Order: sequence, then structure tokens, then C-alpha cells
Amino acid sequence: MSPDMTDMKQPDDQPVPSRKATSGEQGGELLIEVKNLEVRFPIRKKKLFSSETAYLRAVDDVSFDIRRGETVGLVGESGSGKTTVGRAILRAIDPTAGDVIFHTREHDIYLGELEGEELRHFRKKMGMVFSEGPHSIATMTSDILRAFRPRMSLVFQDPYSSLNPRMTVRDIIAEPLVASGMMKNREKIDERVRDIASRCKLNLEHLRRFPHAFSGGQRQRICIARALVTCPDFVVCDESVSALDVSIQAEIVNLLKDLQEEMGVAFLFIAHDLSVVAQMSHRVAVMYVGKFVEYAPTESLFYTPRHPYTHALLSAIPTIDPDETFDPIRLEGEIPNPLAAPSGCRFHTRCPYATEQCASAIPEWQEVAPEHFVACHRVAEFDFSRQRKDAAE
Amino acid sequence: MLKVENLSISFRTDEGLITPVEDISFEVRPGHTLGIVGESGSGKSISTKAVMQLLPGNGIISKEAKILYTDKSGKVMDINKLGKKGRAIRAIRGGEIGMIFQEPMASFSPVYTIGNQMVETIRLHRNVGRKDARRIAIGMLDKVGISNPEARIDQYPHEMSGGMRQRAMIALALSAGPALLIADEPTTALDVTIQAQVLDLMRNLQRDLSMGMIFITHDLGVISHIADDVAVMYLGTIVERGPTDKVIHEPAHPYTQGLIKALPSVDRLHDRLTPIPGDIPSPNERPTGCPFHTRCSKTIVGLCDRHQPQILQVGEDHTVRCFLHEKQGRATA
Repeated sequence: MSPDMTDMKQPDDQPVPSRKATSGEQGGELLIEVKNLEVRFPIRKKKLFSSETAYLRAVDDVSFDIRRGETVGLVGESGSGKTTVGRAILRAIDPTAGDVIFHTREHDIYLGELEGEELRHFRKKMGMVFSEGPHSIATMTSDILRAFRPRMSLVFQDPYSSLNPRMTVRDIIAEPLVASGMMKNREKIDERVRDIASRCKLNLEHLRRFPHAFSGGQRQRICIARALVTCPDFVVCDESVSALDVSIQAEIVNLLKDLQEEMGVAFLFIAHDLSVVAQMSHRVAVMYVGKFVEYAPTESLFYTPRHPYTHALLSAIPTIDPDETFDPIRLEGEIPNPLAAPSGCRFHTRCPYATEQCASAIPEWQEVAPEHFVACHRVAEFDFSRQRKDAAE
Repeated sequence: MLKVENLSISFRTDEGLITPVEDISFEVRPGHTLGIVGESGSGKSISTKAVMQLLPGNGIISKEAKILYTDKSGKVMDINKLGKKGRAIRAIRGGEIGMIFQEPMASFSPVYTIGNQMVETIRLHRNVGRKDARRIAIGMLDKVGISNPEARIDQYPHEMSGGMRQRAMIALALSAGPALLIADEPTTALDVTIQAQVLDLMRNLQRDLSMGMIFITHDLGVISHIADDVAVMYLGTIVERGPTDKVIHEPAHPYTQGLIKALPSVDRLHDRLTPIPGDIPSPNERPTGCPFHTRCSKTIVGLCDRHQPQILQVGEDHTVRCFLHEKQGRATA
């Protein structure tokens, strides 16, 4: 049952030297470490003469890591806290507790320790990413930020609302370079923009046009070009392909994979569609009401899931396979309100296998197989393995 | 029960007349589900809106189009001749043909309770008093699996979760007792586990009420589990139509084949996805000849780009619009 990570690469892989050693294989170089991350949002309830503050735990004690050049998929139903995890890693939201450690080649950065001026700078430069631009260093004030050169970026779900209609495509893609002050020379900026645009398979003739002239798929390519123009180490793709039609979705998934090969960027790929995540990711994490329930290499997660929730999610995907009978496990009820998250294992209210222990004690986050983490009291009793369809390949 | 023939829809716009739907025909049998699949902009939603005369003011349904609907009493009428206003079409909307939309929040009024809106619908289409209407509404909510319907009925739409709202929406559409239900992407905004619940529910309700259904979606996986027949739309034409099994497992049109190949699957982790090359052209620059020839890998130069292919029969109830089947199939015309 040991996960065969070398299998994760595609057969027709053209190894790119810069990526070869760091392609998300087991024991690859660490990029981001998330330790006991917790995000709480205060919710104020006003009463006649007083107000009460309740806390919504959007993310509760989540730990995982992301390696250089790998894609980590994050799935879960709406309201499970996927987006909050992504934002907290970028520090667009302040975590309440826990650490996010960003390993650069020279230093380790504790994002939680950035404060005041440093944090403001970091936030200002969030949408961008640096390479070895000489100007970039000059604009930074502290040593920490200086070391924190290669950065992170974000691709959103809706390619319509995330592009400024009054800017040309060229200006949109160039904005992270300009905003960060990383490049000031117009010709150099143009050169970089054209380079990234052609990598993203945009027609260079179209750079002078405005976004309204483009279809959804092309807009998403513009968004990707903008996120990658500064050559980041890490990009969060938040439901980046969910709003697209299947054939365009396939195109964007292929594009993201190609760009990862070429540039060695790591992705946190947030989506609710499990089949897309399966295609994209080296490892996949499943979230349920603010907690990780399972984190494993893609193969293990999809063929030998260990958590009942993962199993139920997988069974609910409608496939067009004629041999597969569609018999989703019927989860009773709805996703609990995170304001009143269930005690113990948060899934116990809908879990068909729940016992008394599940309602009272929080299950431990344990490694049941190499790299395969699960939080479930009864994990030893379950075997949800599925028959492999592509065993011959 | 519903037979649409030669339906074309045009819109008057500033840039001239645009025809997003051209010459489509389909039919729905009682107790059966017709699935309509297609990418965004293929015209699947507006074709069904035309069936209910719900097109916006600048929309025109072609004169030669026939929308024949057999109502509950067995009377056949041509909806195209009814016009957009008047008693006859209002009786059909809701009462004969119900509709469910993708975003349930947009279909409910936020300022009235769920029950209020259901009672209004029921009383409009059925000759019952307020108390009876409320009883019917509670029964309907119970039927769609909403727990504690007596209390839920007095809640406002925002007090419900997404899945529950979609179920309430289904209950609302069904409360007037329609014979045909048009569901426009009813599960697209839902999570997979909730989607499975809603699909289940719709299948059971259809069986219990022996209702006809048109199910619009872009998800072939969903279609294959709910529809008896499928129509695949591309740029306003139906390129392939037939029993679901046949269309999905022996697709005849290159576009259908492309759609199926582009689907990601949890069973093919290593395969690279194969997208259909190119983008869907906008309806005001529809290619000449076969609309798909600009993206098709099997284009026959000189034929596909000049002539519109005929509808060919390739199997029992299975038709396709493609020159590749010219020899095997025979023109139905």
C-alpha cells in the first residue's frame, strides 16, 4: 500500500533540470510548513443592552507542508475553511494561532512574526513575486523581507471580476512587477510580460486589448500570467477552474501543469471538484468544518481512502463510467454550522460509523501509512480501497 | 408531451440580429427525462426559456417554429402561438410546466417566508383555500426531505442552507403540480454530497409523480445518472441526440467525443486531459457550414466549412448532425 510517488509524474514528462530534483517527490525540499494553524473570526451578537462575542473557528489546528514544485490539492464542501487556509498562508488573513513557515533557499521565515512595517510591506507585495530584480531589494526595509524574496501569489475563481476592465491586458499582467517596484525599465517589463504571456499561450497581438474582449478561458489565462509574472515559488489557486466549461477547464489544468514543469512553482489548488483535484495534485488534503480529516498522496487518497468522509465524498462524484454503479453514500443532514461545531470528531453527526467515543474525544492526527495522515478513531477498522482501473498503465 | 420543432431564436441587438439558437427539435415523453448538455453560450437555457415564453423583450421566436404541448387534460396547443401575455400562457407557466433555476436565492423573494410564496403559487394554480394550500405546502416540504416542515415553512430563504434552499425551490416548483419540470443547472452550485441528495430526490419525485423533465447541465457525469435521453448542443444547434447510454458510451459526433475526453476522472490520474482545441465562437460570428468545423479534428475541407450537415440516423432514436456519418446513416429527411 506504500504510495508510489514516482508514478505521479506523467509518462511523457520532459524533465526540466530546475525542477527535476524538486518535483514534489517524497522527501523533496520543503517550501511551506503550516503548524497548528488556527483562524477565528469574532462574530458579535447584539442584544438589547449588551453584546456577546462568539468565535467562528474557520480553521482549527491544521498542520501540513508543501514542497517545492508540488501541487497540494485542498478539497472540502463549502464552508469547510479551504479558502481561509489559503488566505492565512499568504497572510492576507491573520492567523489566531499557529505558524506558517516559509522556507526560502537562505532563511526560514516565520510569517507570524512579521509585524508592523514589515507586515505592511509583505502585504503590499503579496500579489507579486520576485526573481533577482535589483530594484526589488532596494524597496525593502528589513533583513527579513530581503531574504523573503521569492514569493507567493493568488489566482481567483472568477476571471470576470478579478480583471480591471479599464486596464489593458499588458498593464494587468505587468502590474505586480510595477507595484512591487521590482522592475522599472519599461522595456524590461515588456519583455517579461511577453515572455509570460506566450508561456500562458496568450496571443501577443492581444496584449493591447481590454479584458472584455476575451472569453472566460482566455481571461483565466491572463489571471495566471499575472500571478506568475514575477516567477513566484508558491501560488494559491482558489477554485481557479471551477467556473469554466469542461474543455476549457482541461486546457487550464494542462497549462498549470506545464507551467509548473517549466517554472518549478508550487500550487495550493483549492477546489470542490474532486476529479479536477485528482488530475492536478501530487498530494490532496480533505477538510471538514475547519479541520483536516485526511492528507495523503493523490494515489493513496483516491484508491485507499481511510476516512469515512473522504469515502463518502468519493462515492458522490457522478462518473460516466458504465461499469461503475452510482451509489453515493447518503450522508444524513447538512454540514454543521461552524459556529456550533460538533464536539469530538466533527464528522460524527453525519458519520455512519460514529460511536460514543467519536462524540466525546477529538481524534488524533496520525500517520497510518507513509505520508498518509488521517484523523479518525476507528481508522484501523476501515478498508475503503477501490479497484484500480488504470492498473495496467 | 412536449414536442419542439424547428425552433430558432433571435435577438435584436445594437450589432444587428443575433441568432443564438438555430433550428432545433426535441421532444419530452411523460415520465422521462431529457438532458440537455452543452458549454456556456450553446443556447441550452434560452431554448427552454422559449418553451415557456420567457425570453426577454428583444427575443424573437421564429414563425415556423412549433412548440406543441399536450396539457394534463390531453389538449394539444402550440405555445408559440399563445404569445407572451394572457391567461393561457400564465396557466402553463408554473401550473403545467414548472421551472427550477441554478441559484435558488435568486428565485425566492427574500422578504416573504418560504410558506408565503408556496401558498401563493398553490392558490394561483389550484382551486384551494389558504389552509389547504398551507397543508399541501407542508406536505411538499416533507416530501423533498426537509425535516420539521411545520416550522421550516415560516422561515425566510436566508435562514436556510444552500442545499435546503434548493430543495425548497424544488418543492415550490412542484407545489403547483406541474406535468413537466424544467431544471436549469439545479445542482451546479451545490457540493457533491448535497448534489447526490438532490439528484436522488428528483429521480424519486419524478417516479412518484410520473412527471416529464428537462434537465439542463454542463456536467456529463450528472446527465448520465438522471437522463433517459440526451441532446448535445453546440452553438445553438443540437449536434447529437439519443438515448443517454448510446450518446455517452458510443458518441457519434466529434464534439460529443471531445467533451467526454475532456472530462477529468478520478480513475485516470496519470492521463493528460485532452481539451477541445480553440474557443467556442461567439454567436454573432457563427462559422459557415457545420458550426463545429473550426475546432473539429476531422474536418473535411470543402465540405464541413461550406455546407450544413443534415440530421442523420445512426441508431435507434439516435441522430447526429455530421458528414462523417453520411455513408453509414441515412438522411431522416
